[in-house]
Amino acid sequence: MRLLILFLPLLAYSLPAEAGMLTGIDERQAYLEAPLQNKKDYHACLARELAMIASLEKGQHDTEVARRFMDMAEQHAGKAGGRP
Amino acid sequence: MKRLAFIPILMLSACAATPFDIKRDELAGARQAIQAAKAAGAERCAPKLLAEAEAALYHAAHELDETGQHPDETASLIAAAASKGMQARQIAIRHCQPKARKKPEIISLSGVRFATNSAELTVDSLAVLDKAVETLKKRADIRVEVAAHTDSRGNDAYNLALSKRRAASVYRYLVEHGIDAKRLNAHGYGESRPVADNGTADGRARNRRVELRILE
Repeated sequence: MRLLILFLPLLAYSLPAEAGMLTGIDERQAYLEAPLQNKKDYHACLARELAMIASLEKGQHDTEVARRFMDMAEQHAGKAGGRP
Repeated sequence: MKRLAFIPILMLSACAATPFDIKRDELAGARQAIQAAKAAGAERCAPKLLAEAEAALYHAAHELDETGQHPDETASLIAAAASKGMQARQIAIRHCQPKARKKPEIISLSGVRFATNSAELTVDSLAVLDKAVETLKKRADIRVEVAAHTDSRGNDAYNLALSKRRAASVYRYLVEHGIDAKRLNAHGYGESRPVADNGTADGRARNRRVELRILE
């Protein structure tokens, strides 16, 4: 029980906001890009660029860095009116 | 068991770390280029280029974190961030800045006078207006506004009405001397647009004036 309580906040924190159970970089990228398709504003463009870098880093097996870039991409997607 | 309690805390603190250090000295040039682009309005006028520059900056910051692992890639990212930032700034300066309003060209009718408190042109004024007619015939492509102004003596309403009558008087003269009425309109501004100090006789004389403002 104690262990469960200790790990509960970690579990909650590690899930991407409003992304359900999407945890893979590729899944998150696809989820992020769909609503941004016709958006050309600065935050939408930056979200796409950062997601692209995340994918690149994931390809180089640097998953932690990929996750950080994807987090940033999701923040800008949120500002662009897409999915945060 | 107590040791286990530290595991999530440690993991959480790792998650909360700031993403990338873009304040490094190596990135100063690129950072400044991006800041200058933003200041020029590139977020609105060159969003894609600015986003590419900023993403390259973050990517370069990450590569610099991996000390010396990909020096060529890092240098190329820094150069791309700076170059795209500068391009975004140029585009913003060219297309984003509010255009300075062109000052309307004015043909001064200095010498046009009226009898006191009247819209009747003095005889001396006619020569000046004849020259204006010649000018308007030569420049047949322009439309003008006949703009009449008064000094500030008397009340506003009276001055406005007087200036309207004076503008109409000049308008009539120009039309009677062959200028197409479609090229003209008349406007009285009263005392609202002084060009000199109304506190002196000389200033008031300069403020009492009629001009032709070129409309197009």
